[in-house]
Amino acid sequence: MENLLEVKNLSVSFGDVNVLEDVDFVLKKGDVMTIIGPNGAGKTILVKSILGLIEHKGGVEFLGEPIIKKIDEIGYVPQRLDFDRTFPITAQELMNLVSKKADPKNMEVVCNHLEVDKLLSKKIGTLSGGQMQRVLIARAVSGNPKLLIMDEPTAGVDIGGVKSFYDIVEHLNKEHDITIILVSHEIDMVYSLANKVLCLNKKMICVGSPKEAINKNVLEKLYGGSVGPKEHTHLR
Amino acid sequence: MENILNLISYPFVLRAIFAGVISAALLAFLGVFVVLRKMSFYSDGIAHASLAGVAAGILLSSQPLLWAMIVGIIFAILVFWLEKKTVVSVDAIIGVLFTASLALGVILMNFKSGYQPDLISFLFGNILTIQYSDIWLILITAFIAGTFMIVKYRQYLLLSLNNDLAYLSGVNLSLYQLLFYIALSVSVILGIKIVGVVLVSALVIIPVSSAKIFASSAKSLVVWSVILSEIIMLSGIFLSLALNWPTGATIVLVGAVIFFALVLFPKKSS
Repeated sequence: MENLLEVKNLSVSFGDVNVLEDVDFVLKKGDVMTIIGPNGAGKTILVKSILGLIEHKGGVEFLGEPIIKKIDEIGYVPQRLDFDRTFPITAQELMNLVSKKADPKNMEVVCNHLEVDKLLSKKIGTLSGGQMQRVLIARAVSGNPKLLIMDEPTAGVDIGGVKSFYDIVEHLNKEHDITIILVSHEIDMVYSLANKVLCLNKKMICVGSPKEAINKNVLEKLYGGSVGPKEHTHLR
Repeated sequence: MENILNLISYPFVLRAIFAGVISAALLAFLGVFVVLRKMSFYSDGIAHASLAGVAAGILLSSQPLLWAMIVGIIFAILVFWLEKKTVVSVDAIIGVLFTASLALGVILMNFKSGYQPDLISFLFGNILTIQYSDIWLILITAFIAGTFMIVKYRQYLLLSLNNDLAYLSGVNLSLYQLLFYIALSVSVILGIKIVGVVLVSALVIIPVSSAKIFASSAKSLVVWSVILSEIIMLSGIFLSLALNWPTGATIVLVGAVIFFALVLFPKKSS
């Protein structure tokens, strides 16, 4: 499989404080990678650095070119959309505010599949956390991205919503051939969805297939001694 | 009523109405992004800062509005540059720059002896002073700034919502921010002949803040902001003519009454 994303020695520091050190990994087309780590591990900083939203050292290449040149090939769903909730903008209007690549037909299909069509006339400030996530995913996917990055996409979503979300991720990956990066602090998600995992706690603790990369030693480095993996087969 | 109809036949009233209608539409449209991005202080700051340009124009017996625009553009570039290059917060930068520019204006006026009716008219607005040269300046500037904002409406709407999403949609954040500062500066200055340096930011803030109370979408916010702005402008001009009140102050008070009516009776209004 062709390399889609190559991150080389990526480091981030705020003043004298290093918040990320030497993150190094390759993502191939069709991969679903989960970035896990405790709160404050630098997961969101890593994602934002990859996207060029935060200044960093090291290289990020997308299909062999600097990622800034291919930014319209990437869909991004932020952890929490920081916006004024009194902003009178409808979900439909938000969906239309995408880069040039968005295809109206694809947008319609995506909205139907994610059950966003019923939300389109509503103001985004009135949507629940789960509804807003679906709108943001639909918006990110409607531009036919090659890579979809989602930061804590199930935060604030109920159990039913999480199951539905897992189905969506699987569908996007398998049917639409979208490579996916998921950020999570939930280790269970790794086993449910991903073929690759990156463990992060300021520095890269592990990278590889979940069964090979995650072991007791890694988990201790991430979360301390009391945490272990537990598969949620009911969510499959 | 008859008196008002008679007044409309006067060229100075027609000039005021023409300038008012154009400025009202432009300021309300830009005001949408000002209010959504919580930049009200910027529009207030730019208006006050322009006094240095007004004073320079009066002192040089040149067109004060043009000089005010030059100062406005310098103000926009300085705010943008200092915001990028220093750790000082943007409201502090605006606060320092506009008071410094205001102080410069006061000192410049000190070099001109005697009573300065022009200065008073720029401070509080005076429709009697709007000349054909002002109309041309307003028309050309409004066309350029308005066309630019209409063409880039989607980018600015996304930028107002969230910087990260805008960046990932290919919006050059720094460039768009600088161009918005400049467009807003020149547009605010267009309004100072009508409502004055002290009150012009009301035309940016009041129509949009009023429309935001009942708008159901971004599109309806833009449309209703412009409609309310025109209602406020024209009602204010005619009321001031009928009652012989200062025009700028009357326009702002009409706007404030509409705003509070919508705030206090939101259901009836929507």
